[in-house]
Amino acid sequence: MKHSDSIHRYFDGEMTQIEREQLYRHLEGCSECQEHYDEVKKSIALVQSASHIQAPKNFTENVMSALPQKKKKRTIAWKKWSKNHPVLVAAAVFLLFMSSMTWLNWTGMSGGEMAISGVGNFEVDQENNTVIIPEGEVIEGDLTVRNGDVDVQGEVHGDLTVINGEQYMASAGQVAGNIEEVNQVLSWLWYETKELFSNLSPDQED
Amino acid sequence: MDDWLNQCIREVKAGETEAFAQIVDAYKDKVYQVAFRMVGNAQEAQDVSQEAFIRAYTNIERYDVNRKFSTWLFRIATNLSIDRLRKKKPDFSLDAEVNGAEGLDGYAQLAATDALPDEQVVTLEWQASIQKEIDTLPPKYRAAIILKYMEDLSLQEMSEILDLPVATVKTHVHRGREALRKKLKKW
Repeated sequence: MKHSDSIHRYFDGEMTQIEREQLYRHLEGCSECQEHYDEVKKSIALVQSASHIQAPKNFTENVMSALPQKKKKRTIAWKKWSKNHPVLVAAAVFLLFMSSMTWLNWTGMSGGEMAISGVGNFEVDQENNTVIIPEGEVIEGDLTVRNGDVDVQGEVHGDLTVINGEQYMASAGQVAGNIEEVNQVLSWLWYETKELFSNLSPDQED
Repeated sequence: MDDWLNQCIREVKAGETEAFAQIVDAYKDKVYQVAFRMVGNAQEAQDVSQEAFIRAYTNIERYDVNRKFSTWLFRIATNLSIDRLRKKKPDFSLDAEVNGAEGLDGYAQLAATDALPDEQVVTLEWQASIQKEIDTLPPKYRAAIILKYMEDLSLQEMSEILDLPVATVKTHVHRGREALRKKLKKW
């Protein structure tokens, strides 16, 4: 074995007692190996003598303030759940969207002014917020009133719809089509939905 | 392993960020020391060791509880140090002088007192000179020498930290030791 190898084995702490004694004996008679041995020993001692360094002040604080914001476990669980149930999440988002839309429309409407759609001779009583179809008058088509009451003394040949109001029918009054009162959010929503579908389907007319 | 550390790691995994401060406090000196010996100056040592803790935090889920935490942490720190050294490799030899001076700053930073006794200044300069010699070693031999002789780690642990076979680690220790012997024999 080369002597430099045995010196390495010595400093790796891999030599047996017998091997160490053999090495020591060799070193006594070989100045080259002795020098090598001394130099390795010195360099290890020098490196080991290098004092221990401490982290700078505020190191922990600096690390803590540099940490990325980590979500709590709960959020992670929710994320996992939502990944596994995309349809439910989509439905929930849709519902949320719809209900906020409905709410906006509904609140926007109930505070709003009276709106009338329909063609014919009717009177509008602004003070009482009432649409009056006088006796003898005929509304040929549909009549829709929002945010107001309807007092039917004459005739309506189409449908009468009252949203966010009430309809009164005089004994002489007549409505040929359907009468609908929509006061609750849900029934209003139902009405809107029905409207949407009847507008979409072409064979609804007649 | 210590119950204390396991408890902290569990809390960090559960999202209790504050528990991580205790881990940083416990390991900051060791990590900083390895980083400083590797990169050779205080500023980069601070960057590297801070980054090492941030990576440990963000990857805490990947830490295998059955293994030694310090091994895992040292592995992150040495990898970051070696990456840092590779990036500045082109101007390595040109920078040797500057690195030495920065090393001095690193030691100066240790001493909080404004006026140092003469012998302490001499010690600091001497320490800086040793670091300067370490800085001239190629990164892989440097890492081997630092972990073996400054951190007093076993070849097995070094092999896990450096992700190298034990035999390779041993060779790196031998070569690093030989290189240092030649540099330091004139001392």
